[in-house]
Amino acid sequence: MIGQLLRSDFLKIRRKGFWLLTVIGPLGVVFMQTVNYGVRKDYLLKQSDDNWSYYLSNVNMFTPLALVLGIVILTSLMASVENETNAWKQLIALPVSKMTVYLSKFTVLAALLLVASLLLMLFTLGYGYYLDLGTDIPYIDVVKFSFYPYIAALPVLAIHLWIALVSKNQGVPVTTGVIGVILTYMSYNLPDWLIWKWPALMNGWVEPLTIVWLGIGFGVLLYLAGMLDFVRRDVT
Amino acid sequence: MLPVLFVGPAIALMTGLMSNIAAMETEMNAWYLLLQYMILPYALLFLPLMAGVLSGLICRYEHQAGGWKQFLSLPVTRGSVFTVKYLLLIATVFAIQLLFLGAVYLAGTVKEIADPFPMMIIWKSVLGGWIAIFPLVALQLWMSMFWKNFAAPFAVNVIFTLPSILAVNSETFGPYYPWGQPFLMMYTGGASESVFYVPWDQVLTVVGGSLVVFFAAGWTYFQRKSV
Repeated sequence: MIGQLLRSDFLKIRRKGFWLLTVIGPLGVVFMQTVNYGVRKDYLLKQSDDNWSYYLSNVNMFTPLALVLGIVILTSLMASVENETNAWKQLIALPVSKMTVYLSKFTVLAALLLVASLLLMLFTLGYGYYLDLGTDIPYIDVVKFSFYPYIAALPVLAIHLWIALVSKNQGVPVTTGVIGVILTYMSYNLPDWLIWKWPALMNGWVEPLTIVWLGIGFGVLLYLAGMLDFVRRDVT
Repeated sequence: MLPVLFVGPAIALMTGLMSNIAAMETEMNAWYLLLQYMILPYALLFLPLMAGVLSGLICRYEHQAGGWKQFLSLPVTRGSVFTVKYLLLIATVFAIQLLFLGAVYLAGTVKEIADPFPMMIIWKSVLGGWIAIFPLVALQLWMSMFWKNFAAPFAVNVIFTLPSILAVNSETFGPYYPWGQPFLMMYTGGASESVFYVPWDQVLTVVGGSLVVFFAAGWTYFQRKSV
C-alpha cells in the first residue's frame, strides 16, 4: 500500500517545482560562497590556517536557513497539491488508511531533503576543489556539515508538515515558517531546547552528534503527534 | 489578517528585550544601539519575507473558487484592482512599521534607557524601511497573482531575500540589491545628513527603479491574466 501511495505522490509532485527547489536550495547555499570567495578570496584565506574548515563554516552559515525555509516551502507546496484541486476527499476515499497517506507525504519530503543534502555535499566538495583549499580534504566533516543539519531539522519538518496539512489557509504555515527562520537566524542567542536552533548545530551543552540523535527522537515524536491529529480530523 | 501584523513587532520586541545594551560601554545614545539590535532580524529577513506573505493573503480569496472571475465581472478595471491591492498592502506594511516603532519604544522603556528618545532619527528609519519595501511588495503581488498557491511566490521571495544577508555587508553589491534596501534604509549607521540613511541617488535608482519595473510588469501581467 505504502509503495503505491509513494509512487502516486512522486507522480503528483512532478512539474510542480519540487525537484527544482531541491536543486536550487543546495546550489544557492554554495553559490553564496562562490560570490563570497569570488569577491574577497585572499581576505578569506587569511582568516584561518585551516582553509577547508573555514570554508565549511562559511557554507554552513546558510545551510540551516535554506533548510528551514526549504521545509516551509516544500510542506506548503505539498499541501497545495491536494488543496488546489480539492483532492483530499478523493484521496481519503481510496482504500488506504489516513496514516499511510500521511506517512507517504512525509517520506516523499524527507527523501527530497535527503537528495538536497547529498547535492549540498557534492556542490560543497566541488567548489572546495575548485578553490584549491589544500590537499588535506576533511571528507568526514564535509559529510557531517551536509547531513547533520538535515537530521537535526527533522522535528521542524514534522511540525511543518502537520501545520501545512491541517491549515486551510496556507498563510498560517508560511507565517510560522517566517518566525521559524528568524529563530534559526538568531539561534546564537536562543535557548537550546528550541528545535529551530538545532539545524545550526550550535549548542552549548552537547556534541553535534547528540543533536542528531535528538533530531531523530523528537522528529519521530512530533511526526507521531502530527499524524495522530491528522487522522482524527475530518476531511472537507 | 490582523494577527499577522503583530508577528514582526513581537519578534522585534523579543530581540530588543534579549539585547544586553547595558553591558556595552559606548558614548552613543542607547536608543541607537537598541534600534540596531532590533533591526537586524526585522529588516533583513522579516519585512522582505512578510511582503510575500501579505501579498499571498490579499490574493487568497480571489484564487479560491473562481474569485477572480467574480471580482473582475464587477464594473472595475483591472488596473484599479491591481493598484488598490497594492495600496492596501503598502498601507498594511506602514501599520507594521508603526507597531515596530512602538516595539522599539516599549523595549527601551523596559530596559530603562535614560537617553532622550531620538524621535527624528527613528522616524527616518521607520519611513525609510517602509519605502524600501515598495518594490518588493509590487514583485510579490505579481507573483501571488501568477501562482495559486502560497509556496511558489514565497520560494521566489526566499531566493532573493537570503542573499541580502551577504549583500548588505558588501560595499559594492549592497547598494544595488533591492532586497537589501529595507535593512540599509533602516540601519541608523548610514549617511545621516541625508533625508534617509542611504543617499538620495540610491533611493531613486535602486528602490524607485525596481519599483517601476516590478509594478509595471505585475500590472501588465494582470491586464492579460486569463481568469
